[in-house]
Amino acid sequence: MTNSRIWTVLSLFVTCLLSAFALSVVYSQTRQRIYQLSIAGIRAAFAEVMPTADSFAVLTPDSSVWAAFEGGRRCGTIVRAAERGYGGPVPVTAGVDTTGTITGIRIAGPVEGLKETQGLGTKVLEPEWRAQFVGKSPAEILLDRDGGTISAVTGATISSRAVANGLRDALERYASLLRP
Amino acid sequence: MNTEPSRLSYLTNGILRENPTLILMIGLCPTLATTMSARDALGMAAAASFVLICSNVVVSTVRRLVPDSVRIPIFIIIISTFVTIVDYVMKAYQPALYRVLGVFVPLIVVNCIILGRAEAFAYRHGVFDSLLDGLGKAIGFGLVLFLMGSIRELVGAGKFFGTRIMPAAYASSPVQFMVSAPGAFFLIGVLKGLVNKLQSKNR
Repeated sequence: MTNSRIWTVLSLFVTCLLSAFALSVVYSQTRQRIYQLSIAGIRAAFAEVMPTADSFAVLTPDSSVWAAFEGGRRCGTIVRAAERGYGGPVPVTAGVDTTGTITGIRIAGPVEGLKETQGLGTKVLEPEWRAQFVGKSPAEILLDRDGGTISAVTGATISSRAVANGLRDALERYASLLRP
Repeated sequence: MNTEPSRLSYLTNGILRENPTLILMIGLCPTLATTMSARDALGMAAAASFVLICSNVVVSTVRRLVPDSVRIPIFIIIISTFVTIVDYVMKAYQPALYRVLGVFVPLIVVNCIILGRAEAFAYRHGVFDSLLDGLGKAIGFGLVLFLMGSIRELVGAGKFFGTRIMPAAYASSPVQFMVSAPGAFFLIGVLKGLVNKLQSKNR
């Protein structure tokens, strides 16, 4: 019986049916939580680069630019960029206030997909290095050896440049969205 | 006939004599890629063990109903169902671990140990024996992963489960080679060499 032609087809069908049923149960049980976690992760990153803001609204379809509000008043913009570094894209999230000044930048770590060399390229994650972006205008966001004001991490020029250039490009591209 | 010792050997075979990674040399991809630290290694071991044990039990339960000609597609559907369940549950309840293991969670589908046990053991044995076999292979796989993860984290970062163990002077400039990809190849080579040495002595 198990080798009849009809059962060959039917057994695959039944297996797929049971599998689909089991997965739909698990999916419906976990969907809400997975969604909430992803929202919480985005909010935490935004709060890090612009602590004063309390709500955000997306401005571009690819969700790389967000308007930031403080008590209902527009207080700045969140810009996300991912320029190619040494091992892959370097995802940067930056806050810009209404005068066009950087309020903070955050770089996704290795657990979030950063592929830069451990111990060299990953030094761009250090708060001391990121702090030099705060208070700068988009025109100043360029490595000092490229004519800007950002000093590169020793031994990780490519990673540093990916952060600076990616951020500067994004700020220039979306310049019209930065002012309310 | 005395069947008790052979039953127990289904369980113990996987740990030493037929250790999936160090003797059979299968399932090496997750062994190399997810053992940067003891915690990551345990997470991977737990996920793969769940899938291995569940697929072994289900395959042996339905084995008399499965037509020979389509058994592999059916095994794959069963395995990928459990992998997707692990994927959803880990994403929802262990998001930090999920971000580290990343693509290697869905890739459990193609872990040779799991399909290998379904085809070579569960398809031909009873439910209880298949459970023991899955458990044994899972323990064997988990032990090697845990060993690799612990050594790599200890030497490569001076830590164990994220807590510093080695002296501060070492932990500030550890042998970072060990937590990068070549370190994994190096360590599995050393472990395999040790196993071969022990085996040749016993012979």
